[in-house]
Amino acid sequence: MRLTLRCRVTLSFGFGLLVVTSVLAFATWNLASGYMLRQREASATRQAEVNVRLVEKSLSSPGLDELLTGLTTGPDSSILVLSPDGHVTAGRKVEPSQLPAGLVEHPPARERIAVDGLPMLAVALPVAGNAVYIELFPLQQLNRTFGFLSAVLIAGTIGSALLGAALGSWASKRALKPLAELNSAAGRIAGGDLRARLPDQDDPDLAALAAKFNSTAHALEQRALRDARFASDVSHELRSPLTTMVNAGAVLRRRREHLPGTAGTALELLTSEVDRFARMVVDLLEISRADQTDDPPPEEIALDALVRNVIATRAPVPLELEPAVVLGDRRRLDRVLTNLLDNAERHAGGAVLVSVRARGAKVRLEVEDAGPGVPEQLREVIFERFARGVMAGSRGDDTGSGLGLALVREHVHRLGGRVWVEDRSPRGSRFVVEMVLRSSDG
Amino acid sequence: MCVRVLLVEDDERIQQALSLALSDEGFTVDEAGSGEDALRRLETESFDVLLVDLTLPGVDGLEVVRTLRSRGDLPIIVVTARADARDMIAGLEAGADDYVTKPLMASVLAARIRALLRRRGPGRDAVRIGDLEIRPQEGLVRRAGERVHLTRTEFRLLLELAGAGGRIVTREQLLQKVWGYDYFGDTRLLDVHIRRLRRKIEANPDDPSLLLTVRGSGYRIGS
Repeated sequence: MRLTLRCRVTLSFGFGLLVVTSVLAFATWNLASGYMLRQREASATRQAEVNVRLVEKSLSSPGLDELLTGLTTGPDSSILVLSPDGHVTAGRKVEPSQLPAGLVEHPPARERIAVDGLPMLAVALPVAGNAVYIELFPLQQLNRTFGFLSAVLIAGTIGSALLGAALGSWASKRALKPLAELNSAAGRIAGGDLRARLPDQDDPDLAALAAKFNSTAHALEQRALRDARFASDVSHELRSPLTTMVNAGAVLRRRREHLPGTAGTALELLTSEVDRFARMVVDLLEISRADQTDDPPPEEIALDALVRNVIATRAPVPLELEPAVVLGDRRRLDRVLTNLLDNAERHAGGAVLVSVRARGAKVRLEVEDAGPGVPEQLREVIFERFARGVMAGSRGDDTGSGLGLALVREHVHRLGGRVWVEDRSPRGSRFVVEMVLRSSDG
Repeated sequence: MCVRVLLVEDDERIQQALSLALSDEGFTVDEAGSGEDALRRLETESFDVLLVDLTLPGVDGLEVVRTLRSRGDLPIIVVTARADARDMIAGLEAGADDYVTKPLMASVLAARIRALLRRRGPGRDAVRIGDLEIRPQEGLVRRAGERVHLTRTEFRLLLELAGAGGRIVTREQLLQKVWGYDYFGDTRLLDVHIRRLRRKIEANPDDPSLLLTVRGSGYRIGS
């Protein structure tokens, strides 16, 4: 999987700082440790040289042991004096065999060695004749300093790498903020909110992008508005001739008995189609109006009472109503329920149950029927405009406008809710409108 | 009794078709092609209902409604061509009793006209609310002894609310009882009439004390 840009910037910042600081730390380490070691070696050598002069004077006297003991500087240091007749040691016990041969055989020499696991600096100096003076200086103190130094350097390196990563993350977040805004604005546009725009940008690099995006969004919005206006204008222009046609049709229908046979059938066809045409235009106007936002301010509506009132004007349907108050536009809710009931009548022989149920913070208005149900693959399609006819079970004498469910979806969308259709057992379908519950004290 | 309707409509074809269809519904229809024509005829003849298109050349529909309202309480139904709510509300504010949108059907229109002309219910006794005196039999209302001129629809609306005696009357009930709407949808019709009524009977229409709104359900008369 490819890493996100932000992730990559973070990593490269972190890695970059890690490299730089580790180089610096390495150099510091080398310089500091080398310097300290050299200092220690120099002082050890100086001390050993002083000691050698003292030893030289009493090499063959019996007080050598005592002198050597006096010369040792601490419990961990040792002094050996090797002569062809044997050797004398003082301080910490060390056998000549533990010492490297080169040191013993070719004085003067200097070497860092480990004796019994302890780090030591061994300084070998020739003493008058062919004896060798070897002094071992403990290096623990120095090693502890080195340990501390290296710990500080490593911690510093890791710390700066983390700081680099944090810096990278912050910088990329800041740099990508306009992109995140672009993303959210584009998402809103894709979701249908054509008024989404990017905020003005100060940065000249981003200003061009924002301006371009905004002008594109504006053009899109204008175009959507033009389309809606076109639909509205067309429907509007159709109204006057339709008024004439519908009323002339009504006059003719009243005189149906004077037109027997073929002419009568043709009249029947004509008037029913004119009626359907009129309904379609009314629905088209409504849906093009639904696209616009000239809603009155939302009011509190008792959903249960509204359902009861709407049902009271129609064929009776069993009701299961819980008290629920929603915020919205009454006309829209009326249309939603009426269209769902019309739809049930048209395709499923009428609704068999209408219910209002509060579910947590939401309320569901459900219209159930016992018809053939809606196949899985059509459950989205039926809410689209002019989707009429996709249903296998639709009636031949269907007089709907093909906009009923599209209007339902449009209105529900405007009411801030959602609508869907699901299976009802044992048969039929259930249209569910879910909205935000205002209160349930109805 | 024959109901005389004056139809003001500039589109001749619509005029003819509507006249024929309304005649079928049992109305006597007279036609006027313009606002001026309509106002002239209304001065000399008497009609029971005026049906007026809002978009007329010359003196437009709104002007006709306003002029007629200043003259009396002849029931007026406006025909709005635009689906735009503003037209409809403007028409109602000007004093119309009801509205229909094109394409309108004569049968729907006939139901509206009949609802508007429905005779008042059996004579009730006079009702007093605050300084308001309602005499249903005479069809008059007095506020602090002074006569208030209400249109027929405003009067019926007030009567429905007064008849409930302080109980809540829902918007749906009002729409059905006053306008005969058996399918409610547009409560703006009611909202505008409530506004108009308040302007006439309330001391302070912005802070009503007689005609109270009950949020989320309807209206009631305050005591």
